[in-house]
Amino acid sequence: MMVVDLLIELLLMPLVAFLVGLVMVLWMRRLGARIQRRVGPPFLQPLYDVVKLFGKETQISHGVLHDIGIIMAMGGYIAAETLLPVPGMDGVAAYGGIITLTYLMMIPSLGLALGVGQCANPNGSIGISRALTAMLAYDVPFVIVVFGVAYHAGSANLIEIIDGQQQAGVAGWGLFEMPLLAIAGLITLQGSLGKQPFEVYVAPAEIATGPMVEMGGKYLGGLFVMQAFQFYTATVLYVSLFLGGGTNWIDLLLKSFLVLTIPVSVAYLFPRYRTEDLVRLLWKWPVMIGLLGVAFVV
Amino acid sequence: MEINTLDLLALISLVTVATALLVGGQGRGGWQLSLLYLLQLVVVASMVMMAGGEGIISTLQFSTVGESIGWRLDGLGLYFLLITVGTAAFVSFYMAGPWGEAYQRDGGSLRWLQVALATNVFTMLLLLASGDLLSLFIGWELASWAAFWMMALAGGIALKVALRYLIYAMVGAMMVFALIVILYGQAGSFGFDEIREASVQMERGTTILVLLLTVAGFGIKMGLLPFHLWQAPAYAETPGPGSAFLGAISSRLGLFAILLVLFRVVDGAWIELYLGFMNPQTLLAWIAVATIIFPTFTAMRQNDARQLLAWHGIGQGGYMLLGIAMMDPLGVAGGMLHIFNHATYQAALFLAVTAVIYRTQTSDLNHLGGLVVRMPLTFATMLVGIIGLAGLPPMNGFVSKWLVYRSLLEQGEVLLFVGAVIGTLGTILSVYKLLHNTFLGSLRLEHQAVREVPITMWMPMILLSGLILLTGIFPGVPLQWVAEAAASIGLPMPQFNLGGVIAEGGSLDMRVISGVLLSGFAIAALIFYGAGSSRRVNPLDNYAGGHFLYASNRYHYSNNFYAGLMHLIKPWYRGIFERLEQIILLLLAVIADLLQGLYLQRQPGRVALVVLVLLLWWSTL
Repeated sequence: MMVVDLLIELLLMPLVAFLVGLVMVLWMRRLGARIQRRVGPPFLQPLYDVVKLFGKETQISHGVLHDIGIIMAMGGYIAAETLLPVPGMDGVAAYGGIITLTYLMMIPSLGLALGVGQCANPNGSIGISRALTAMLAYDVPFVIVVFGVAYHAGSANLIEIIDGQQQAGVAGWGLFEMPLLAIAGLITLQGSLGKQPFEVYVAPAEIATGPMVEMGGKYLGGLFVMQAFQFYTATVLYVSLFLGGGTNWIDLLLKSFLVLTIPVSVAYLFPRYRTEDLVRLLWKWPVMIGLLGVAFVV
Repeated sequence: MEINTLDLLALISLVTVATALLVGGQGRGGWQLSLLYLLQLVVVASMVMMAGGEGIISTLQFSTVGESIGWRLDGLGLYFLLITVGTAAFVSFYMAGPWGEAYQRDGGSLRWLQVALATNVFTMLLLLASGDLLSLFIGWELASWAAFWMMALAGGIALKVALRYLIYAMVGAMMVFALIVILYGQAGSFGFDEIREASVQMERGTTILVLLLTVAGFGIKMGLLPFHLWQAPAYAETPGPGSAFLGAISSRLGLFAILLVLFRVVDGAWIELYLGFMNPQTLLAWIAVATIIFPTFTAMRQNDARQLLAWHGIGQGGYMLLGIAMMDPLGVAGGMLHIFNHATYQAALFLAVTAVIYRTQTSDLNHLGGLVVRMPLTFATMLVGIIGLAGLPPMNGFVSKWLVYRSLLEQGEVLLFVGAVIGTLGTILSVYKLLHNTFLGSLRLEHQAVREVPITMWMPMILLSGLILLTGIFPGVPLQWVAEAAASIGLPMPQFNLGGVIAEGGSLDMRVISGVLLSGFAIAALIFYGAGSSRRVNPLDNYAGGHFLYASNRYHYSNNFYAGLMHLIKPWYRGIFERLEQIILLLLAVIADLLQGLYLQRQPGRVALVVLVLLLWWSTL
């Protein structure tokens, strides 16, 4: 019985993540539209997009690795969701902890890099060079944040980190216990989500010189799904680290959408930076703030 | 006289050397050698199975000037020996077939390469089984010379960089010799137990000296900063499979000796010592982190695949030392496990690069590309290898690094932790460049006819890849060996099972993690392939922003791959270590010149003056 329950959880967790992630994509678009005084897309638009992309008649593959790259990009997140505890479901979070989750979240990037590399398009390769450089930039402050929170909680197990905050009440949330780390984490989020001003490595505005150059149909669809997962994973993780996780689903979703609103608003209000500016900025401010935050914890 | 397993192993190892002399030169005839290495592996494996307690003492002992010299193999030596012999088995198999024939056609002597490999294994056995400081020194010297021989075999540049290694190794040997003299002076014996007893009363100054000589003297072999400059060029120039062997295990002998002296020979009281600014443990950890970061980012700049790998080899040594320097159960397990894990993926990667060279005659990362369609098995090996090297799940490199991270987290060592993570991220960037520039992108015209390497070459590579994955999913197996090794030098180990480690504040079960990851891939594959089939197009049939890529006009984005990042961090590469080396060499040259002048009596007047001053000084004493 236990095993069956666990298996259902393992299937449900990525599914919920996918659906919530789609709504998050919609939220981003609607918010952007409001800021730019537009109406924005209808509720089901993200779902239509996925169906359209996967259902396209023309699907161009540049080789087996092109396919495998997309599979790794989606599969990495599907696996990562099972390590991210949500109300009522802990999945396999106890078997890996937050360090494993951090490293699992790098697998999709590697998958994308492999897939793009196979396409033999120099512009795609330049995009990957930028994307990996960006990863080097935002992961350093990110691991400092993770370190600080885990050390403060005395555990690398996300379940225990969330439980600790919930038992301590609102004043015991990471946000109030470690405000500096929370700020550093928020800046890092902007980079890891690839949102303006750090979106140059995704190059959504000039597709021909970015990693997406050879992606169409279900290849682009796979990356769309990956983005939905990424929104969900990043924001729920942030809520788990700093906002006490979710006591129930409404609580969790409310907090997650609130967190997502910040980088998305910033994205629509600010221009972009070059990747090396990204390294300079992320290694300076969030790292400094994060280290200061850790100093208070240790 | 009764012969035990250790004697038997030494005997087989010697027979291997002899066989290499006899049949090593015959390309396909080398299978006898592979068989002999397998036999050695079986013996070592049986020793691992029955290990425990006192270790195996060889009946081969002799005494000189009243001191008996003997050999014995305990858990620590056995662990390193298992890796050594295992790597040799893979490498010799790889070498014996078409690769060896091609090597001979190109003017190399396969026989001497085989003999060098067998000699390396034998001398390493002598070192790993040393039972006292004298046999340790003998083994150390023999192994150093054997490694030099292997490096120098190719002649030309290889000889030049090997001679550089030799200079480093000799300086190291002097330090080791001084260390042995000091320890003998303390205990009046070469025996480990006697020295351990005597070292309890060692003075502070002596202890510091012993620590310094141990870490510096043996650390040279390991490529510990700032003694790392020799290693990458020397390993990169060694003939293909030889570099796989050296890169996988040879430089780890330095770590072995450091572990042996610091934890077995000398009493553990040195950990409590305070050096005025930090304790030796923290100092070791910082040296380790420096060894991780600098070589890793140097690797990222390399344009030659073998140089790149060799530089990473130095950096990964830092993780091993970092984990062990933490001296808590998780750190020790991580650091020690990384020795095995590193050997597996480093051997696989060097063999894969050698396979590429075998087919394309180059390892220049700016003159390759697109080979994935021609050499899929070699590609698969390199993919598995770089995931292991970068330390991502589900490969074995992840497990050992996870343990080191957890240990740093528990001890609250945030800066060391960040340093280790920067090293990992740098490694991810660097190895992706290796894979991308070699196998991805567009295939060059001259490589259109390239085929996959023959079975004798891809078989060991694929087997090694399987090993990397399997020990990633079931790290409990190598952890069992690590536990024996740690026990023999009195280091703590965490509680572990087949799938990973059970620890307070966060466990790891790789069976579950790999399970969900592979299932995630499977689900994604179902969705992806379920959405209908796609049309396969020529890789060159792509969009290039208005330009067209013609078949005769290849453009592979490879040179200066991380241009943006390099733009930023280039000023940091000042080559301070190279300059340091040059300054020391210059000083040595000046001193040598003076001494030579004295000896040859070039300027008798000055000699007379020096002698006179010395005499006067002596008379005032």
